[in-house]
Amino acid sequence: MALPNQQTVDYPSFKLVIVGDGGTGKTTFVKRHLTGEFEKKYEPTIGVEVHPLDFFTNCGKIRFYCWDTAGQEKFGGLRDGYYIHGQCAIIMFDVTARLTYKNVPTWHRDLCRVCENIPIVLCGNKVDVKNRQVKAKQVTFHRKKNLQYYEISAKSNYNFEKPFLYLARKLAGETELRFVESPALAPPEVQIDMAVQAKHEQELAQAAAQPLPDDDDDLFE
Amino acid sequence: MDDLEKAILIMFDESGTVDSELKQKAKDYCDKIKEEQAICSVCIEKLCFSNLVQVQFWCLQTLHEVIRVRYSSMSLDERYLIRKSVFSIACFGGFDDKSTVRVLEGPAFIKNKLAQVLVTLIYFEYPLVWSSVFVDFLSQLSKGAMVIDMFCRVLNALDEELINLDYPRTPEELAVAARVKDAMRQQCVAQIVRAWYDIVSMYRNSDEELCASVLESMRRYISWIDIGLIVNDAFIPLLFELVLVGGLSEQLRGAAAGCLSAVVSKRMDPQSKLPLLQSLQMRRVFGLVAQDSDSELVSNVAALLTGYAVEVLECFKRLNSEDAKGVSMELLNEVLPSVFYVMQNCELDSTFSIVQFLSGYVATMKTLSPLRETQLLHVGQILEVIRSQIRYDPMYRKNLDILDKIGREEEDRMVEFRKDLFVLLRNVGRVAPDVTQIFIRNSLATAVGSSSNWNVEEVEAALSLFYAFGESINGEAMRTGSGLLGELVPMLLSTRFPCHSNRLVALVYLETVTRYMKFVQENTQYIHMVLAAFLDERGIHHPNVNVSRRASYLFMRVVKLLKLKLVPFIENILQSLQDTVAGFTSMDYTSKELSGSEDGSHIFEAIGLLIGMEDVPPAKQSDYLSSLLTPLCQQVEALLRNAKVLTPEEAPQKFANIQQIIVAINSLSKGFSERLVTASRPAIGLMFKQTLDVLLQVLVVFPNVEALRSKVTSFVHRMVDTLGASVFPYLPKALEQLLVDSEPKELVGLLILLNQLICKFNTLFRDILDEVFPAIAGRILNVIPVDALPSGPGSNTEENRELQELQRTLYTFLHVITTHDLSSVFLSPKSRSYLQPIMQLLLFTSCKHKDILVRKVCVQIFIRLIRDWCAMPNGEEKVPGFQSFIIENFATNCCLYSLLDNSFEFRDANTLVLFGEIVLAQKVMYEKFGNDFLVHFVSKGFPAAHCPQDLAETYCQKLQGSDIKALKSFYQSLIENLRLQQNGSLVVR
Repeated sequence: MALPNQQTVDYPSFKLVIVGDGGTGKTTFVKRHLTGEFEKKYEPTIGVEVHPLDFFTNCGKIRFYCWDTAGQEKFGGLRDGYYIHGQCAIIMFDVTARLTYKNVPTWHRDLCRVCENIPIVLCGNKVDVKNRQVKAKQVTFHRKKNLQYYEISAKSNYNFEKPFLYLARKLAGETELRFVESPALAPPEVQIDMAVQAKHEQELAQAAAQPLPDDDDDLFE
Repeated sequence: MDDLEKAILIMFDESGTVDSELKQKAKDYCDKIKEEQAICSVCIEKLCFSNLVQVQFWCLQTLHEVIRVRYSSMSLDERYLIRKSVFSIACFGGFDDKSTVRVLEGPAFIKNKLAQVLVTLIYFEYPLVWSSVFVDFLSQLSKGAMVIDMFCRVLNALDEELINLDYPRTPEELAVAARVKDAMRQQCVAQIVRAWYDIVSMYRNSDEELCASVLESMRRYISWIDIGLIVNDAFIPLLFELVLVGGLSEQLRGAAAGCLSAVVSKRMDPQSKLPLLQSLQMRRVFGLVAQDSDSELVSNVAALLTGYAVEVLECFKRLNSEDAKGVSMELLNEVLPSVFYVMQNCELDSTFSIVQFLSGYVATMKTLSPLRETQLLHVGQILEVIRSQIRYDPMYRKNLDILDKIGREEEDRMVEFRKDLFVLLRNVGRVAPDVTQIFIRNSLATAVGSSSNWNVEEVEAALSLFYAFGESINGEAMRTGSGLLGELVPMLLSTRFPCHSNRLVALVYLETVTRYMKFVQENTQYIHMVLAAFLDERGIHHPNVNVSRRASYLFMRVVKLLKLKLVPFIENILQSLQDTVAGFTSMDYTSKELSGSEDGSHIFEAIGLLIGMEDVPPAKQSDYLSSLLTPLCQQVEALLRNAKVLTPEEAPQKFANIQQIIVAINSLSKGFSERLVTASRPAIGLMFKQTLDVLLQVLVVFPNVEALRSKVTSFVHRMVDTLGASVFPYLPKALEQLLVDSEPKELVGLLILLNQLICKFNTLFRDILDEVFPAIAGRILNVIPVDALPSGPGSNTEENRELQELQRTLYTFLHVITTHDLSSVFLSPKSRSYLQPIMQLLLFTSCKHKDILVRKVCVQIFIRLIRDWCAMPNGEEKVPGFQSFIIENFATNCCLYSLLDNSFEFRDANTLVLFGEIVLAQKVMYEKFGNDFLVHFVSKGFPAAHCPQDLAETYCQKLQGSDIKALKSFYQSLIENLRLQQNGSLVVR
């Protein structure tokens, strides 16, 4: 599971495969986890970086070995050979680039060819960016294939833990499993934007909830 | 184990014990082998004799790659070998050698990889070269479960790799898919379906998993094969039997339901679809959803029933004959109770599609008025469904009340989830308003009396229904209280919910009251109830600060709507708001996190609206206002007096207090009109002036506190609107103070204030502008660079962005000055020294700024200045040197050379507008300067751009003519001509 010179551990560990088009933020995402980033090993031969990410749950510590294909999505390396013995997966797309969502089915197919019936999370990344091209409502693939979907923003740590928590629960067969302490994450780079986004969304929601203003009822000053 | 096998094992190693160098060697070795001519035979041999999965996987991966990339260059023999061997492996043998490895006995991922290779062969060879592939396979199925399983994998792979349109496909792939489907339809689909039927019949009691795989494959094919092969007396009964027989595995029953779903949603014309749907006798499976609600089977059956209902509704909509409408409506009435049941009782992913279906159904009802009894019954059930779906789970009650992380997530989820349901509710409300209103009334009544376990959530849901319903009521119906509204609104106002302390309940209560305020506007006997709801602990005095602040905002809106009717209540309102008012300005600054748009200041705006009315007697008005303003001003004055002894620890709290006070006064003043303050009741105006005096003092005492400066600036903006021209005496001091040590960001704020003043007062503002312009120009020119701001990587810093913003605002400022007849300001003695740098800046920007709109603004400024400062006939120059600057620099550089660059894109709308301005500028220059301009432009400018003589002559004619459109289109063609000649490389400049 581990790579050369990578320490193995005596608590449950799982191989997690992370796939998706180049530039969707897979590497940025796994790098948010600081201890994983510290211990990662790059394997230039097969073009993969393996990040051991530890999480502390109410059932004890667990580790995900995140296999990040590091820019070798289509060529070189082992290609779908990476997926062998994968126990869970994250498929990543970029909500600001429609094509990356269009390619999700292909990633899913290629993954499932090698890893039948593993828990998979679909992640729409970069929700902090203002001009989204893939709206939350347009994301329907996960319903067809029974995947879990999360909107994330790797740069702001938004929902960082969610995919791991879902996978941990599925792998442990324990729906009540919780993370008892947060892993050390790199500080958010775009927190302010995120706050603006949240406010923006709230305003939109409020606007949507208001009746259309009448002439004598000027809501917008 | 030979070297290749060893290398593959090393390359795939996951144990962590192999070092990187060795891995690299192994990879190089494998890559080298891949290049060999006989690589396919190597792979096939290994596949047959190696039982290492890594080796098998690598061989299949390599085969797949080689076939895909090199198929056309392979020899016929090689193709034959691959075809024969791969097929043989997929059919479990063929080689007699006992040592043969059985791939089909290996792990699933190897079999899937093998299926992928087979499908790649089918891609190239079916039906022309290898026409018998499916028929051959069928003949092998008798070998048993393993081959059948492999056959299913091949069909699945064919679907996923080639046919299914869920995956992006190239035009070539689409063409191949069409070819394969056509050939299969002609040749073997019937046989394949027959085989599916036989297998399922034979294995259903012995190998359910295999049967499920077969059905799972079959489901994928139903959409494009002859439906008659499935919809017949053999297959349909078999499928229903599988779904219904209790003893079978959920997986198999679910797979059979999946096939039925595919049958139901097969694309057909409604004329044939309806008899098909009818023949299915779907009612047989209705009972299944009532079983264990969490099972996979239930969710499959639920999807089947929804899909069925959708199709039946579609038939109803698209068929016109009485008969067909009758049949489809009957089928719909039959299935709907099950759909409702599913929505209310099962946790399903399909909720979303069910809501869509119900919306479609409700939309059809619009064409059916008046509704029949069954439909009214359905409306009731739909409402029931909505209510049960929008209800929060009591387990989140505490989280939602204190709004922690979990509560916030749950609330967000619910807000999103409710959107579609509320759209549905509003549609129902339009189709059946009476039923909906009765439903809401009953919901409110039962919610009040419901058990405490559910009380909060029931009440919240009932109120939310009432709130959302309001959106579908028009203003007239709202005012007159049509239907039950006349009863519902008073009921709402008078009801005291035991759970009013809950945040969500309190919020939705206030929102709902506000939404139905138009009714109260017409029925003033309820005003005291509205006031009570907002002023007591249900509203502004609610213990939860989020609620009380929202209440402040909503109260302000209510006041806006009802204010004339509120005059008799002012005294009472002010009394009950005393504590809130005092609390706002003495707030602890650490509670800042709650600020933002809803900071509670709306309460002051509401008060301002009330006491600012002309209907309030003058004496009263003065009393009210001074009782509010005086203590606030005194607070500020006290803080200012003690500024010297302010410790760094206290400072943030004090500054926060001053900010709050300014915000409060600002909000308060919004209710007072300029007319009242300046004309009818000058005493009120005086009070605001005194306040302004005090607040301007803040700038003197704390010149460098940015937050305070921006709040005071907003207040000055406000006072410009409220006090009108009588604010003038205060401006010089204010503007001077705002300029002290101001950062680019603050300078932007100052320019915006000046723009407001110029736009409001035009030339009346000239004297003050004359005074302040030199200082401002000097300050800004000091800060911004004359040429372009740095661009490229690393330049996108906060500092640069602020400078850009300042630059942009400066151009707007100069534009506002010139377009308001104030260009003489540039010429005053004190400003004169800035004229030259400003002109240079404008010139540079008009030629080179990357934002086309900014360039347009600069060109417009020049046009205006030329008109203002240059008069024909040539008398004494108003601004010496200006004319020659324009002719020698602006005309050539901006009006000619800057256009020659290919980046000046005529197809861009903004650029075209800029171009129009540039042509206009030439026209104006000709009007003002005559031949002085034309001669220089044509004799100096054009030759430098290599303009042919004939074009130059035509230009002169067009310019002298009166048709500006013709000039514009000629000049565009001239520029494009010059660009062609220079081949894009500009020599001049």
